[in-house]
Amino acid sequence: MLRKLHQLSGIVPLGAFLLEHLYTNSKAAHPERGVADFNQAVADLQAIPYVLFIEITFIFIPLLYHAVYGLFITWETRPNNLSYPYPRNWFYTIQRITGIILFFFILFHLLNFRFGLIPGLNERAVAHYPNEAYEIVSREFQMLPILIIYIIGIASTVWHFANGIWLFLVDWGIVIGERAQRVTGYACIGFGVLLYVLWINVTFAFLRPGGLLGGLLY
Amino acid sequence: MSTHTDRTSSTEATADRSYTPAPERQSERKFVDIRIKRRDRPGAEQRWEDFSVPYRPNLNIISCLMDIQKNPVTKDGAKTTPVVWDMNCLEQVCGICTMIVNGKVRQSCSALVDQLLKEKDPITLEPMTKFPNVRDLAVDRSRMFEHLKQVKAWIEIDGTHDLGAGPKMTQDEVAERYAYSRCMTCGCCLEACPQYDEDQYIGPQAIAQVRYQNMHPSGKMTRDERLEGIMGDDGITNCGNAQNCVRVCPMSIPLTKAIYEENRETILHGLFGWLKR
Ligand code: SF4
Ligand code: SF4
Ligand code: FES
Repeated sequence: MLRKLHQLSGIVPLGAFLLEHLYTNSKAAHPERGVADFNQAVADLQAIPYVLFIEITFIFIPLLYHAVYGLFITWETRPNNLSYPYPRNWFYTIQRITGIILFFFILFHLLNFRFGLIPGLNERAVAHYPNEAYEIVSREFQMLPILIIYIIGIASTVWHFANGIWLFLVDWGIVIGERAQRVTGYACIGFGVLLYVLWINVTFAFLRPGGLLGGLLY
Repeated sequence: MSTHTDRTSSTEATADRSYTPAPERQSERKFVDIRIKRRDRPGAEQRWEDFSVPYRPNLNIISCLMDIQKNPVTKDGAKTTPVVWDMNCLEQVCGICTMIVNGKVRQSCSALVDQLLKEKDPITLEPMTKFPNVRDLAVDRSRMFEHLKQVKAWIEIDGTHDLGAGPKMTQDEVAERYAYSRCMTCGCCLEACPQYDEDQYIGPQAIAQVRYQNMHPSGKMTRDERLEGIMGDDGITNCGNAQNCVRVCPMSIPLTKAIYEENRETILHGLFGWLKR
């Protein structure tokens, strides 16, 4: 029961929010209007009625639950990849490793950008200063260590999410057969790769207009 | 394959070769070295001991263990106690001889020395780690039988009177059930499962038996009881989808299919079951 809720919470609301997050960030990828669009998007989000309530119910509580229960699950594992080096077994272990990375990465990310509570690094919450949103993020990404943290953090997120979709589908008895699982597996990998490309592109949009692709798609 | 030409000169050697998986090794090898992880009594410390037994073609691990039993002397010539292990059918049907051979769990009766030597030399033998170790290579697997009771892995009959012919099943169902029926409760799947440890998770073996009985037209009558047997804290949700179980099962039982079918059944039962009460 708790486990099933854990799996579900990873898809909705957390997975859904992740996609929304990508959508908002991607506003910054426009080669000319990126800065203004992104700041506007942040302001719009803040203008949602009962935003704090929505944030707490649909993001913070599920996130806390998913994170804490996830660590508890990880605690129970007895990995044996060296004796049984099958791909799925590696996926299993990597899902747990990325989970641990994400615990710290998301904690850092929240304190840093959402709450602006990291003295010496950033004390301005992006959410509270929509006018400066782009600038705050951009200032940080110019620091190489921060950029690297984000590139790794995003990779973990995307992996955890893409593989998580697969796990959800099989754990909820939706995809059962071996062949169906294989096909779904490839679809999830494809989806993950796509997400990662988009996300890295938009991350670099905070460093140069248009991101890595230089606004190729506009 | 240089030995090939040498050997064809004698007809006897030709006949002999057709039975030998590794003819090039046979001529050189006199002994097989085996490292065994031993424990003198329950609770005692484990230790490694090295043995060397005379090589013959087509040896399996049980025959090596029998050699050691006849002459319990370590490789260095020190006298020791005979190694304890379990065996019964000697044809990979009963599952009792399961142990960790060269780091992988499998049946020692069907583990062939010629192949094992290609993996690792000396060959290593260890008892399974997920069950209480009684002595040397013998473990106590009664936990698995408790699990079968927990999930009521049988079909109820209400009396000894003649119930008439049973309901019909399609060929496909029969074939699928046959696959699950082959389980010999050997424990390989539990040993390789990264989620299984003591009693935190009931494990794939019992879940496959739930599937097996739930597919049966008469077994379906007590389906919900079985589902509840795998819906507790130690239940099916503990599966982490590493899918090792299905890779190591010596009877090629579609364990993950059983798990996912039962995922579906338990979810539906969990979501809507209470509405029936
Ligand atoms: S399912 Fe396979 S590996 Fe597991 S106990 Fe049965 S025969 Fe052994
Ligand atoms: S698929 Fe589930 S039962 Fe099988 S090895 Fe993995 S965690 Fe264990
Ligand atoms: S002795 Fe029965 S399976 Fe090996």
